[in-house]
Amino acid sequence: MQKTSQSSPSRRPDNTAYKQQQLPACRVQLTASRVLLCFFATGLSCLAMGIVLLLSAKGIQEVEINYTETCADCAALRENADNFDKECSCSIPFNIPQAMQGDVYMFYKLYGFYQNLYQYVLSRSNIQLVGTDVKHTDGCDPFATLNGTPIAPCGAIANSMFNDTIILSYNFNSSEDIKVPMLNQGIAWWTDKYVKFQNPSFNDLPSAFEGTVKPPSWSQPAYELDADTPENNGFTNDAFIVWMRTAAFPTFKKLYRRLHRTQHFTEGLPAGSYSLHITYNFPVTKFHGEKSVVLSTLTWSGGSSLFLGLAYTVTGAVTWLAFFSMMAVYVTMEKRI
Amino acid sequence: MKYTNPFISENPWNYSWCYSAMPLTKKRSPDGQSEEQGRYLQANSREFNTVFAYPNNTIKTSKYNILSFLPLNLFEQFQRLANAYFLALLVLQLIPQISSLTWYTTVVPLVVVLTITAVKDAIDDLKRHQNDNQVNNRPVLILKNGRVECNKWMNIHVGDIIKLQNNQPVPADILLLSSSEPGSLTYVETADLDGETNLKVKQAISVTSDMEDNMLLLSAFDGEVKCEIPNNKLDRFVGILMYKGKSYSLGHDKLILRGCIIRNTDWCYGLVIFTGPDTKLMQNSGKYTFKRTNTDHLVNVFVLWIVVLLVCMCSVLAAGHYIWELKTGYYFQDFLPWSKYVTSPAVSATLIFWSYFIILNTMVPISLYVSVEVIRLGNSCFINWDQKMYYAPKDMPAEARTTTLNEELGQITYVFSDKTGTLTQNIMIFKKCSINGVSYGNVFDRKGEKVDISEKTEKVNFSYNKLADPKFSFYDNTLVEAVKHGNQQVHLFFRSLSLCHTVMSEEKVEGELVYQAQSPDEGSLVTAARNFGFVFHSRTSETITVVEMGEPRVYQLLAILDFNAVRKRMSVIVRTPDDRVVLFCKGADTIICQLLHPSCRYLQDVTMDHLDDFATEGLRTLMVAYRELDSAFFQAWREKHSEACLSSENRERKIAIIYEEIEKDLTLLGATAIEDKLQDGVPETIATLEKAKIKIWVLTGDKQETAVNIAYACNLFEDNMDEVFIMEGQDFETIRQELRSARHKMKLDPTLESYLLTSKPKPFFRILEEVPNGNFGMVINGYSLAYALEGNLEVELIQTACLCKGVIFCRMTPLQKAQVVELVKRYKKVVTLAIGDGANDVGMIKAAHIGVGISGQEGMQAMLSSDYAISQFRYLQRLLLIHGRWSYIRMCKFFNYFFYKNFAFTLVHVWYSYFSGFSAQPVYDTWFITFYNMIYTSLPVLGLSLFDQDFNETWSLRFPELYEPGQHHLYFNKREFVKCLVHAFYSSLVLFFIPMGSVYNSVCNNGKDISDYQSFCLMVQTALLSVVTAEIALKTTYWTMLTHFFIWSSLAIYFCISFFLYSDGLCLLFPSNFQFLGVARNTLKLPQMWLTLFLTVLLCILPVIGYHFLKPLLWPIGVDKVIERIHRCMRQPQLLLIQPKQKRPTCRRSAYAFSHQHGFGALITSSKTVKSPLYAKRVFSFQK
Repeated sequence: MQKTSQSSPSRRPDNTAYKQQQLPACRVQLTASRVLLCFFATGLSCLAMGIVLLLSAKGIQEVEINYTETCADCAALRENADNFDKECSCSIPFNIPQAMQGDVYMFYKLYGFYQNLYQYVLSRSNIQLVGTDVKHTDGCDPFATLNGTPIAPCGAIANSMFNDTIILSYNFNSSEDIKVPMLNQGIAWWTDKYVKFQNPSFNDLPSAFEGTVKPPSWSQPAYELDADTPENNGFTNDAFIVWMRTAAFPTFKKLYRRLHRTQHFTEGLPAGSYSLHITYNFPVTKFHGEKSVVLSTLTWSGGSSLFLGLAYTVTGAVTWLAFFSMMAVYVTMEKRI
Repeated sequence: MKYTNPFISENPWNYSWCYSAMPLTKKRSPDGQSEEQGRYLQANSREFNTVFAYPNNTIKTSKYNILSFLPLNLFEQFQRLANAYFLALLVLQLIPQISSLTWYTTVVPLVVVLTITAVKDAIDDLKRHQNDNQVNNRPVLILKNGRVECNKWMNIHVGDIIKLQNNQPVPADILLLSSSEPGSLTYVETADLDGETNLKVKQAISVTSDMEDNMLLLSAFDGEVKCEIPNNKLDRFVGILMYKGKSYSLGHDKLILRGCIIRNTDWCYGLVIFTGPDTKLMQNSGKYTFKRTNTDHLVNVFVLWIVVLLVCMCSVLAAGHYIWELKTGYYFQDFLPWSKYVTSPAVSATLIFWSYFIILNTMVPISLYVSVEVIRLGNSCFINWDQKMYYAPKDMPAEARTTTLNEELGQITYVFSDKTGTLTQNIMIFKKCSINGVSYGNVFDRKGEKVDISEKTEKVNFSYNKLADPKFSFYDNTLVEAVKHGNQQVHLFFRSLSLCHTVMSEEKVEGELVYQAQSPDEGSLVTAARNFGFVFHSRTSETITVVEMGEPRVYQLLAILDFNAVRKRMSVIVRTPDDRVVLFCKGADTIICQLLHPSCRYLQDVTMDHLDDFATEGLRTLMVAYRELDSAFFQAWREKHSEACLSSENRERKIAIIYEEIEKDLTLLGATAIEDKLQDGVPETIATLEKAKIKIWVLTGDKQETAVNIAYACNLFEDNMDEVFIMEGQDFETIRQELRSARHKMKLDPTLESYLLTSKPKPFFRILEEVPNGNFGMVINGYSLAYALEGNLEVELIQTACLCKGVIFCRMTPLQKAQVVELVKRYKKVVTLAIGDGANDVGMIKAAHIGVGISGQEGMQAMLSSDYAISQFRYLQRLLLIHGRWSYIRMCKFFNYFFYKNFAFTLVHVWYSYFSGFSAQPVYDTWFITFYNMIYTSLPVLGLSLFDQDFNETWSLRFPELYEPGQHHLYFNKREFVKCLVHAFYSSLVLFFIPMGSVYNSVCNNGKDISDYQSFCLMVQTALLSVVTAEIALKTTYWTMLTHFFIWSSLAIYFCISFFLYSDGLCLLFPSNFQFLGVARNTLKLPQMWLTLFLTVLLCILPVIGYHFLKPLLWPIGVDKVIERIHRCMRQPQLLLIQPKQKRPTCRRSAYAFSHQHGFGALITSSKTVKSPLYAKRVFSFQK
C-alpha cells in the first residue's frame, strides 16, 4: 500500500502526552522508612487523641433511673389496651450525690424499641408533615385512616409517640418539693423544627386539622399537645419532632427536657434528693422493653460515650505494636538479603 | 454442512426428473437456511433461476436497520445474563410487599448501562453498513440483451454472464467461459483467499472458450449447470455443464472465486454460479467466534459464587427475621401491626428473603460490566494512539480491532509466529555469489578492509544495461567488471540463471519487464542475471528468449526437470542458438556436490568454503552447474522420458530415476547467496520476549531448511544450543521414538514421565510446567506432525516441545497451524498469541486466544480476522510488554478494587440487620445506593484503570521479567478474590461498628439527636466513601494530574451532591423522595462525625499498608526481586550497567534454501500454453 496522495492526512497518532501515556506524574512508592514513619506517627496521634477524649468524657455526670420495674403496677395496667383511659402514675425518689454543673439535659431512654424497622420508618407522610396537605396519608399504612377519615399525623411512627409525662422535683430542705424548671422547646434540630415540619396554614390550628382524626394511641389531638405554649402545637411540637426523628438502634435515648437555669438551678442541679413523678402511659413490657430517665451533662464531644476515646487509645496502642513488630521483621529480613 | 452428490449418476441429463424434483430439492429448513441438495441453474435465464430463489449478490454484515435497532438491540442486551438479572431485580423491586429499595436504585444504573452499550452497538453497525454499501455498489459489467451493461455488484444474479477485466476483483463465484488469452487461460491472484501471492491459472472448457467475446454467442448461451451446494471448500468444485445436449464435467480449475483478482488477462467472461452469502469466500469467512478472556471467565465464575453467597446470606437473614418476628416482632404489633398478607413469621421471612435479595444485589454490581467495557476501550485507544507502534513508511498505526482482550496481552506465554512476511519481509535479495572459485559481493575499502554495507555504500551502476531493474542494488564492482570483460565463466553463470527457472515475464511497456515468479528466490536470481546483462525476456512453451549483453538470443527449451522437495534441484535442457544441447542445473549444495564431475573437485572445495561463509551470514545458498549433452544421448533420454511420463504405475518414481540419469557429471559454475531479509528488529524483539519467559514457536508452510535458517538468523536458535532435535519420522513408531529420545535427553527424570504416559489423556488434562536441563530446540515437519497429532502422541509431542527453547514447525498446512495452537490451548493452561500476515495464518489467528495480524501487506485476510493489527513484528514487544502488561495490571487492580468496594458496601447491611430486626432496612440513603457505583466511585476507578503504570515504559522494556506475573495469573485469581472478600469483610465490620459505637446512646453536644437513623446513614456512607477512596489512592502508583483530579473531585462531588440532595428546596419540592432534609448540615458539623471518620479510615487503611509492606519481606514472589532491583536502580541510576552483547560464535552449516514447492514447469511445457499473438510477435521481432 502506498500513500494515495500527498494531501491525504497521515494516520500518524498525535504526539500528545495524554495519548502517548506520558503524562507528567509522580510515582508514589511505599518505601520502608515512609511506612514505618507513618505507623509511628499515627500511633502517636491516636494515643494522644484517645487520652484527650477519655479525659473529656470523664467530666460528664450522668444519672439513669430505670422505672420499668419500679412502676410495675402501671406497666401491668398498660399491657391491657382496654385500660387506655385509666390514669396511672408513680413516683420515684432518688439521690444526686454530686452537683451536676452546667447545662443538664433530661432524656428518656427506651430499650428494645425498634424504631428502625423498615416498615416502621416508611410509615409516615412527609407531605402531610410539611403542611402542604393535611389529609395526605399515602404510605402511612397501617395507620393511614380511621374509619375512612385520614389520621393526622398519620403513620406508625406518629402513632407510637412516647407519651409519658416526667416531672422532676427537687427535695429542698428535706421538706419542700420544688418542681425543677425545665424547658420543652429547643430540643429538636433547627431544620426539623422550622423547615421539615410545618403546620397547615390556617388562622387557628383546630380548623387546620379539620377533617382528620388523631392517631388511635394518642389521648389528645395534635393541636393540643402542649397546653402551656400554643405555638408548640401541631406538627411543630418539639417532642413530636424529636420522636419523628427515628433512632438507628433499638436502644436509644431522646431529649425530653433541658434544665431552665433559674432560681436554685443557675449552676445546674445541686446535690441532694430528687424525685421523679411519672404519668405512665407508654407500654414497654409487652414487647419486653424497658424505659428509663437519664439526667446528664455534656461536653464538646457530645454524650457520655466512652467509645471514641477507648477506640482511639486502643488503635494507637495497636499501631505502635505493629510498628515495632514491622520494624523487627524489616531489620531481620533486610539483613538476610 | 454435509456434502451430498446425488446427481452425477443422472448423466445424461433427464429434464423431467429435474423439474419434478425441484420442489423437493429446495426446502426451507426451520432456521431459515435453505437446504439445497444440489444447485441447478441456466445461463442467461433469470426467469428459470428465480424459481430457486437464490440470494442475490448483496452482502449483509450489518445487524440492524433504523426500525429494528431498538427492539433487536434491547432483546440482545437482555440476553446477556447480567442485564437479564438486573431486569429481574427491577421486577422484584416493583412488588411493594418485598420492595426494600425504591425502583430508581436499579433503573438509573440499568438505563445508563443499556444506553452506553446501545450507542456502541449503533456505531459499530453504522460502520458495517458503510462497508456493505461500498462493496455492494462496486461496478461490474453484466451481459444483458446482447450488450454489456455496467451495473452494481449487488445486482448480479445466479445465471448471469459477467465480463471481468484485468486487475478487477471478482464479485461472485463464476464459471469461466472464455478469456482473451489463448486456450482461454485466465490468471488470477488468490492472495485474499489463501494468502498465496503467486498467480494461478484457470482454464475454460473448450466448448465455451470458442465463444470468445462474441456477444451474440454469449447471449445465446443457454448451458445449464448442475453443481454442488454452496460450501466452504476452496479447492473443490464438482459440477456438470449441459450444453447442446452434451454434458461436460466441471472441476475447481474452471471456477473463479469471489475475492480473486484477475491478472495478466485482458478480459474474461464468466457464468455466475454462487452469489453473495453462497460464495466460497463468504462461506469461509465463517461466523466470528467471540473471544473472551480468561479473566472474563474467572469473573463470571466469581459472579456465580457471589450469587450463591447472596442466596446463602439472604437465607440466613430470612431465618434471623423469622426468629426475630417470633420473639419480638409478634409482641411489637401494637406499634407496627403485621400487614394483612402476613399471617405468620414464616410468611414474613419469605418476603424478607427477597427484600434482602434486592438490598444485597449490589454485590454483583451492574456497573462492573459497563466499566470493564469502558476500560478496555480506553486501553485499546492507547494502543491505537501509540506513536512508537506507528509505521511511517506505510502510514500504518497499530490497531486494536477487538477491544475485549487487552489484559490477555499481558498474559501471553506462547507466541505462534508465521515466518514469511512476519519474521521476514518476504523480499529476497541477491547478495553474493561465488563464480569459478571467486567470491563476489563483499565491499572493501581502500585499505583492503571489509566494509559493512549500509545505505551510504555506493551502488553498482547498471546504466549500461537498458533492461536493468532499477530497484536492484549491488555493491561489488568487481563482478560488473568481470561481466564487462567478457569472463566466460561469469557469462555462463548468469546465462544459466537466466535460463534455469520457471519465471513468467511480461512486458507491458516497451523496455519494462515484469517478472511473475513463483517464489521470490527465483525472481531475485533472474533479476540479478537481468541486471548483469542476461535479461530473460520472454518464453513460449518451446523457446526462451534471453537478451544477452544487448543481443537477443532464442534458446530452444527441450525439457524442464522441475523442482521438488526431494530432488532439491531443478534443471532445464536447452538447445543453444549455436546448436549445442546444454543442461543447466541449480539446487542444494548437498545434492549438487554428489552430482558433480570428479574434475571439479578443487573448485568444489573452494566453493564450499564460500558457501560456509555465506551460511554464517544467514544467507540462503544455491549451487549452479551445467552439463553439455551429446545430442544422441539426449534423444535417447528423451524417449525414455516420454515413456516414463506415459506409464501409469509409479510414474513419479520412474521419472525421478530418468531425471537422475541425466543430472550427473555436472560441471560446477558457482553458487548464489540470497538474503531472506528479516524485518527490522526481529532478533532483538525475540530476545526480549524470551527474557519475559514467552516461548516462541514458528509455524511456517515453508521448508525445513529455510525455516531453520531463519530461526538462527533471528536468535530463536543459537549456535550454543545443546541440541536441536529434528523430527522427521514418516510413521507413528519412528516419531514416538524420536520424541521419547529427545525428551529423555532434555530431562533425566523418568518418574513423572511414566505416570503421564500411562494415564490416558483426558479432556481437561493439563501438562505441568517442567524444567529441561539445558537449552534445546526442536524442528518438526508437517507430515510428521500429522502422525504425531494422531492418537496418544499429541501429549508426548506437547511435553517434548514445551521443554524446548524454540520450536519450529515447517511444511504446515493452515489447518495444522490451527491444530497446533488448539493443542497447546488444550493441554496447557496458558494464553496463546498467534501472529501472521497471510490468509494461511487465519486459522491459527482465529484459534489462538489472541490473533495478531501484520497490516499493510497485500492480502488483508489475516489482518481482517485478527484481534490486533500491527505493521511490524518488532511492535509485538511494545504491544505485550507495555500495553499488555499495563492492561493486565490495570484490569486486575480494577477487579480487585471493584469487588472490594462493593463487598464492603454491601456487607454493612448484613451487620445492621441484626440491630434492625432483620427488616431489610438499608444502612444508606437510597440515593447513595443509586449513585455509589455510577458517580461517587466511578471516576477514580476509571482513572486507576486507564492511567496507572506500575513502571513506565522504559523500565517495562528494560526488565521484561516484570511480565511474568501475568503469565501465572498472579494478580487476579481465586486466591486474590478470597483475599478481596476477607479484606472487604474486615472493612465492612469497621465501617459499621466504629460509627455505631460512637453514636450508640450518644447525643450531640447540645443534647440533640445524633443516633438517629438518618445521621447514622450519613456517617456510615461518608466513612465508606472515604475508605474506598483512600483504598484506591493506595492502589494508585502513578499520580498524574488527572488521577489527582479524579480522586479528589469524586470526594468533593460526594459532598456537593449530598448537600444538594439534603437541601431544603429539593426536599420540600419532593418530600416523599428526598427525606434526609438537613442531615448533612447537622451531622457534618459535629466533632464525633469527623473523629469517627478519621478512625474508620485509619483502621481500614493501616492494615493494608502493613500487609503490602510485609508481603514482599515474608512471602516474596519472583517478581518482587525485580521490583526491588528497579527501585534500587531508580535511586542510583549508575547501577544500570549495560551488559555487553555476546558475539555469536560462528559455526558452519548448510544453508540451502528455496522457498517454492512445485513449479509451473508442466504448464510451461504443455502445448496449450501458446503465448498470445502479441507475445509471439515480439519474440519474432527479436529473432530478426
